[in-house]
Amino acid sequence: MKFKSLIGAIAVSAVALASGSALAGAIEDIKAAGVLKVGVKADYKPYGYRDPSGSIVGIEPDLAKDVADKLGVKVEYVPVVSSNRMQFLEQGKIDLMIATMTDNEERRKVVNIVDPNYYSSGTNVLAPKKAELKEWTDLEGKPVCGIQGAFYNKKTGQEFGAEIVAFKGTAEAYAALKQGSCVAFVYDDSAIVAKTNDPEFSDFEMPLKTIDDAPWGLAVKLGEDDFKAFMSDMIKEWHKSGRILELETKWGVENTPFAKAMNEKYQ
Amino acid sequence: MSKPQFKTDLPVLLPAGIRKQHDNFRIRLWHGVALFAFCLFSSGYVFAVEDGAQASALATLVKWIPLLLSGFIFNIVISFCAMALGTFVGTILGLGQISLMPAVKGSSWFVTQFFRNAPWLVLLFFAMFLLPFEFDLGFVVIPFPDWVKAIIGLSLPVMANVSEVVRGAIASLPSGQWEAAESLAYTRRQTLWLIILPQCVKRMLPPWMNLYSILTMATVLASVVGVSEVMTLTGEALAAEGGRTDLLAPFYSFVLLIFFLYCYPIARYTVYLEKKFAVKN
Amino acid sequence: MEAFFEWFRVLYDTTGINLPFLYDSYDRGRMLDGFLTTVQLSVICLFFSVIIGIIGAWLQGSAFTWTRRIVNGYIQLFRNTPPLVQLYFFYFAIGTLLPKVETDWGGQAPMLGSFAWAVISLSFFAGAFNVEIFRSGIEAVPKSTVEAAEALGFTRLQIYMDITLPLAFRVCLPALNNNLVNLVKTTTLAYAIAVPEMLYEANQIWSDNVNVTEMMIFLLIAYFVLVGILVWAMNSWERKLKIPGYG
Repeated sequence: MKFKSLIGAIAVSAVALASGSALAGAIEDIKAAGVLKVGVKADYKPYGYRDPSGSIVGIEPDLAKDVADKLGVKVEYVPVVSSNRMQFLEQGKIDLMIATMTDNEERRKVVNIVDPNYYSSGTNVLAPKKAELKEWTDLEGKPVCGIQGAFYNKKTGQEFGAEIVAFKGTAEAYAALKQGSCVAFVYDDSAIVAKTNDPEFSDFEMPLKTIDDAPWGLAVKLGEDDFKAFMSDMIKEWHKSGRILELETKWGVENTPFAKAMNEKYQ
Repeated sequence: MSKPQFKTDLPVLLPAGIRKQHDNFRIRLWHGVALFAFCLFSSGYVFAVEDGAQASALATLVKWIPLLLSGFIFNIVISFCAMALGTFVGTILGLGQISLMPAVKGSSWFVTQFFRNAPWLVLLFFAMFLLPFEFDLGFVVIPFPDWVKAIIGLSLPVMANVSEVVRGAIASLPSGQWEAAESLAYTRRQTLWLIILPQCVKRMLPPWMNLYSILTMATVLASVVGVSEVMTLTGEALAAEGGRTDLLAPFYSFVLLIFFLYCYPIARYTVYLEKKFAVKN
Repeated sequence: MEAFFEWFRVLYDTTGINLPFLYDSYDRGRMLDGFLTTVQLSVICLFFSVIIGIIGAWLQGSAFTWTRRIVNGYIQLFRNTPPLVQLYFFYFAIGTLLPKVETDWGGQAPMLGSFAWAVISLSFFAGAFNVEIFRSGIEAVPKSTVEAAEALGFTRLQIYMDITLPLAFRVCLPALNNNLVNLVKTTTLAYAIAVPEMLYEANQIWSDNVNVTEMMIFLLIAYFVLVGILVWAMNSWERKLKIPGYG
């Protein structure tokens, strides 16, 4: 699997050598390379995760595949984490990022977030039922697990006074939560809802009111406006055809209000 | 120790105890394997008793082993490339450190010290985030995917350490070698290439291999910056299994085991070489 | 003082060099905590790794075969596996098996937190190298010295503590020096189990401010200074301990 990407990289470099550094549009570049490199999560079940064969699967990889099919190229999934996804896009390591990223003003300065938003989620915590959390302020002075690079870490720390214990990936954070190293795990509510249905986490709940319900944005590199326009049409098409709802069902997530609302809006 | 003090109240000499000689026992590879296997199986067993409903931890691990091994091969590829690159640049830097030109000598020394004293993980972050995605030389564009950046990031400390190894090896040769060559009218360059360096290779080999072993173990750091090597894949496998805590011990033991199986023989061979090349005094 | 910090905000606005850990009080607090944690972690690990080294080298000279085997096994296991994985193994695998204790928020937490596990794991890792270093130092002590002590009726422990170790210590200081520098650099790994040390806090700051370059350069300089202080201290100690005609 690794060698495939190695060969892929060599092929890309060969193409780069052949075409020189001709500055064509992003779409032409992708078509010329024959590969669309998409940054997706690999530890965010069910939005993007690995199956035992090593390939990345989930809702976002399926969306990425749709884009590649439309462009008539192959798709290559590049696993990203929250702390490196924007850097990867900036550097051109990936052409497109569909990686559970919350849309906000600061990020719009760094990457080109495509309108409309394709998904939405808010911030909530996963906590053991025994902890009996009621309010966000209950977290004050207590250790709360998080993911490195997530934007709500600073907020949870600064506004609610929680001590953020941030890990690299979700596996570590879930392990730390189960082991009791933190009282709660602050994360996206969409993933938490999926987790509470897991028998392993039957003693856990999502006790607080979801805050910061914010849309997710998929992004392209700054300046690639033709590709952005292309992606914008793509997202509208997804909402219109109910593709997002269909994928939610396929991967075992209850249909979210946002996806339903968008589906109606674009009818 | 100013005031005289008797350390023993025995009035007479003790019979000289049999002083233990260092025996030839060494830990063999299978000792480590046995220990890890014990860890693995016992942890698998303990939890299997706890909940029979799910696939046992061991069965889950077996399912993921092929993927983890492919990740480990990638670790080895990274280690080879970083070692090659680091050795090449490091040798040049090491020779720079013994240069007669003060500017070259000083700057080589500074670069060596700087990269030797910086943490590997910080250098890796440095390479990961600050190197461009591709490097435009005007006529060719060299792409830098993440694993190439990891190789560059890891080769920086290797380079600095190799530089020190080279400098140390050259300094360890008796100065008589230089003087003898000089009296035979060798130039400085000839002395270096024909007399000094061939003798140094033998001395450099053990520390060099030691360094390789350290580098191999450092390749897991690439997981922190998101390269898909064995540790990253372990984390992702654990995430895909839904954060079961009973899987942690077997999975991490397995990673420890494969590294031990790879690095321990290298360490043994290094010790063997060290003994073989030891300077008799 | 505030005016001094404000200057960096102006620097950001005018040049784009963003150093939020100087002008933003929240980030400044984080960075300072991170620095102190790194220093604390380093000092505690230095202490325990040297203790482990001394005890390990003593046990290696034991008359019992199994004691020596266990020490050897420990050394080889810790030297030939990645410290990062050891850290994960300790924190996640062993940490889960430990008995739980009541916490002040009424929950059940593992007995040891991430900082404690980082100390344990890194001390054992560096300790494995220290045992070997001390052993090579002990081997450099002439046999006749030990025999002389035996002839005077010293016990094995007395010989070790009063004669062999003080002499061996001088011999192995340069190697020890090197290993301790490595240990300070290795404390960055604690980042992976969320010990809020310097790299961790820097990462938090660059995630919030997208100023990787500045933070990176700051980190490199900070570690360079920390390691520099350690090297300077060890070197001056080495000079102080020097006995004429030995080492």
